[in-house]
Amino acid sequence: MTTRTQGQPPSPPHGGGPFHDPPPLPPPAVERILGRVRKPGRYAGGEWNSVQKDWAATAVKWCFAYPDLYEIGMSNLGLRILYEVVNDRPDRLAERCFAPDTDLQTELRAVGVPLWSLETRRPLREFDVIGLSLGFELVCTNLLTMLDLGGVGLTTSERSEADPLVVAGGSIVMNPEPIADFVDAVVLGEGEDVVLEIGDVLESLGWNRRAEAGSAADGEWRRGVDRATALRALARIPGVYVPSFYRPQYLADGRFDRLDRLDDAAPATVTARIAADFETHVRGIRQLVPNIGIVFDRAQLEVMRGCTRGCRFCGAGMHTRPLRERAPDVAIEAAEAILRATGYEEIGLTSLSTADYTYVGEVATELRRRRPEAILSLPSTRVDAFTVELADALSSGGRRGGFTFAPEAGSQRLRDTINKGVSDEEIARCAQLAFDRGWTAVKLYFMIGLPGETMDDVLAIAAISRRVLETGRRRHGGRAQVKVNVSTFLPKVMTPFQWDGLDTTEEIEAKVDALRKAMHAKGLVMSWHDPNSSLLEGALGRGDRRLGTVIRRAWERGAQLDAWDEHFDFAAWLEAFAAYGLDPAWYAQRDIPTDESLPWAHLSAGVSNAFLLRDRKRALAARTTADCHWGPCSNCGVPDATGFACGTGAQGPRDLLVAVGDDGSGWQYVGPPGDPRRAGRVDLSATPDTGANVSADRDERRGWPYDLLGTEMQSKSAGLKGLASLVEAAGGESTG
Amino acid sequence: MSEIRQRWRLVFARDEEARFLSHLDSVRLWERAFRRGDIPVATSEGFSPRPKLVFAAPLQLGMLAEHELADLFLAERLTAPDLRDRLAVGMPHGYRVVGLHDVWVGAPAIAPQLVAADYRMTLLNVEGVELEEAAGRLMAAERLPRERRREARSISYDLRPLLLDLHLRSADVAALPPDAATAPATGLWMRLRHSQDLGSGRPEEVVAALAGELGLAVNADSGDDDESGPRESEPTAQRPSLEIVRPVRERLWLDSELAGQLVG
Repeated sequence: MTTRTQGQPPSPPHGGGPFHDPPPLPPPAVERILGRVRKPGRYAGGEWNSVQKDWAATAVKWCFAYPDLYEIGMSNLGLRILYEVVNDRPDRLAERCFAPDTDLQTELRAVGVPLWSLETRRPLREFDVIGLSLGFELVCTNLLTMLDLGGVGLTTSERSEADPLVVAGGSIVMNPEPIADFVDAVVLGEGEDVVLEIGDVLESLGWNRRAEAGSAADGEWRRGVDRATALRALARIPGVYVPSFYRPQYLADGRFDRLDRLDDAAPATVTARIAADFETHVRGIRQLVPNIGIVFDRAQLEVMRGCTRGCRFCGAGMHTRPLRERAPDVAIEAAEAILRATGYEEIGLTSLSTADYTYVGEVATELRRRRPEAILSLPSTRVDAFTVELADALSSGGRRGGFTFAPEAGSQRLRDTINKGVSDEEIARCAQLAFDRGWTAVKLYFMIGLPGETMDDVLAIAAISRRVLETGRRRHGGRAQVKVNVSTFLPKVMTPFQWDGLDTTEEIEAKVDALRKAMHAKGLVMSWHDPNSSLLEGALGRGDRRLGTVIRRAWERGAQLDAWDEHFDFAAWLEAFAAYGLDPAWYAQRDIPTDESLPWAHLSAGVSNAFLLRDRKRALAARTTADCHWGPCSNCGVPDATGFACGTGAQGPRDLLVAVGDDGSGWQYVGPPGDPRRAGRVDLSATPDTGANVSADRDERRGWPYDLLGTEMQSKSAGLKGLASLVEAAGGESTG
Repeated sequence: MSEIRQRWRLVFARDEEARFLSHLDSVRLWERAFRRGDIPVATSEGFSPRPKLVFAAPLQLGMLAEHELADLFLAERLTAPDLRDRLAVGMPHGYRVVGLHDVWVGAPAIAPQLVAADYRMTLLNVEGVELEEAAGRLMAAERLPRERRREARSISYDLRPLLLDLHLRSADVAALPPDAATAPATGLWMRLRHSQDLGSGRPEEVVAALAGELGLAVNADSGDDDESGPRESEPTAQRPSLEIVRPVRERLWLDSELAGQLVG
């Protein structure tokens, strides 16, 4: 078994092992194509920390196919993590492939060369498993492009016995029904453990083996086990959903009725996976470092997974429960190791809301001390003074670009409705503080079309934006700038707002027009989203399995790279919907009665339907639900569904981690409840368990990060190229 | 800015794996390599300090290289074996350091000392005999007026004084794509001037001039450091375009190395 990472001489091309080892594409053919396309670095491979293994000596081979351009896909932390998890196993290999831009597609079709993996330039069809990472609804046509160019059958039923299994995961697969035709299996939730389980099951069945020569009448080679048997085995793995074992039934009026289970192996409900040991174990240290510039060109350490804020529109916040925080010493060691292993100049401490990470102060301070030259960035959507102070400390002596807040809604009432607990006063104070600390531009993220929204709520966005601008003017005069990003609310499955419809295109346009008029001022810049793109996103997000044929039709009509404005072809999509008598508006804009069957009801992200309904009721009454990081448990159902004792409410997750060493100082992780390492360390039963106490504790503790960061940071001006990017992640999943 | 304690001249090569990097991308890659290897690189002055690494000449996207030059300034002195080891830790795929020379810190900057560069490549869809004639005509010409695009602007210049030598070589058969195995292929070698006053000769400009002599279009397999994609000059449909395969910059020449060999 030979493995090559950086700095070692290349392994011999054929190690003579027992496993499938087709020849790679000839280098001159690939290089000739690369010489003709834009940004050939996207397809050339050879990145730092990329891994090339000997195919003949490696049992199970994955190709992680990311159905978007290299610059997006390589920014994805999940890919970097799973790539390491699989390649760390000597008997597994993982290679990568990204969606080719249109020019490469043309070249590939012209010369008849299949789409290749970056590492060893094998066609996609030669792998055992294609792992698709789906982070956005509008990438579904790209996956067809990739399968097609990679020589893999487009749908489960079209695939030959030799074709790889196509397994999808990622943040949008909580409702995989629209893409169900194209994937053999779907992994719900976190992939770190299940990716290895899938490989083990497939190897034990002989999926990676070639059957005896001559066994195939059609001349195609066959695997050691047939697809149906392999899929039946996969369906028994918790968190793995095999769509072809279920057949949806519809009512005469077109509404979804129920799913029929076609195979005993298929469970009635598939629940999302939660990776073990998040708190104490970091995967994704030797992160891939791209050769060309990408969107998020920095190392990333996930310091927290899940979010307890409970914003009712936010799919990510609802789907990634329970909250888990990395122990501070683990986070610090991992961040250092990642910086060393990658050579990156910058590391992002990522999560859905990093300012909520209990140890953000300690970790940032200690990293500053150990690696003063490294740039730290913390994406956060939180609106409060702490966030500003933190960004200020991290960017001392550095440039001050825009400071980003995400109030999400303009009026107090509507913010209560969506459970974004922040007041007008807090927003104003926060902006004031940011301007006082030297930022001249503030960026605000809002949504329109939220459930229960009136035009007054919409215009309140303009009012608060103007107020923020005034604050900036008083401080910086004409230099002050407020950028307002207005996105459209999209109902996300498995959130309290999953039943609520998207605004019609006319409503969105009217609201945008009204806002534009009300926002007309020097220094106020507003941007908004294409309502057609939102409509399609909404339809695919809440779609059922009938959309598979629509996606295919749109793709055949030329739709692809739909997330890119210059490629988005709405007409092709409308034609495709119409061809099957379906309407995107019916999927996206309808208010679904809460007693109607939902096409994704057999899948569970952990939060219970009862909780979603309860929380929706509170939303309609503009009542907030407490952040269970500090407040009482809202009984979201995750512990019951997942078996994960999150300990919120009574103890609070923070208490699970906060521990003081024997000498009364320092930070030490002592493990989740039930972990033997906890024994004798912390007596949970003795912890005060009322919400009020926990809240008071939080307020009291608010002073410490300033102390730690304020004094120590600002004295270290040399080499601090700060980055106040508490930022761009606000444009990601959590806002919409 | 950190104090400069040592200056190393790196001689390096670039192989297939790093071939499709632009100059800017490769600078960033080298900086990360230094961090991985824990090399005490001196940093530049300014608001955002950069590691002090100076390349003699940017290498175009698509170009292989065998003898490139760069000066690396260190804030701490290292022995050559130590530096070699640290470089080995983190060098990006496709780059090989083939030589290390301790240079006086106060020596003149490297880029202005560069006077010439040698290139070789294989040209597809052209017979050796006609290419040789065309090369002879270029060498015999007094002036070779050409236009070169820089962003939106077009700059007129004379290629002839930049063209020092041009002759045929045998083709690099291993570099030929399988589907082009039957096309006529000819190797080409050239030495181009790098001059502070006249600018630098670009190999794809010479090929374009040859194509002009032969009445052929060019389908360049390199030479796009602006990453704008392939360049096609007046496609004449009758014959397949001249295609550049696997261009290599063989070596850069400093003034002191070529002393007396360059005239004017």
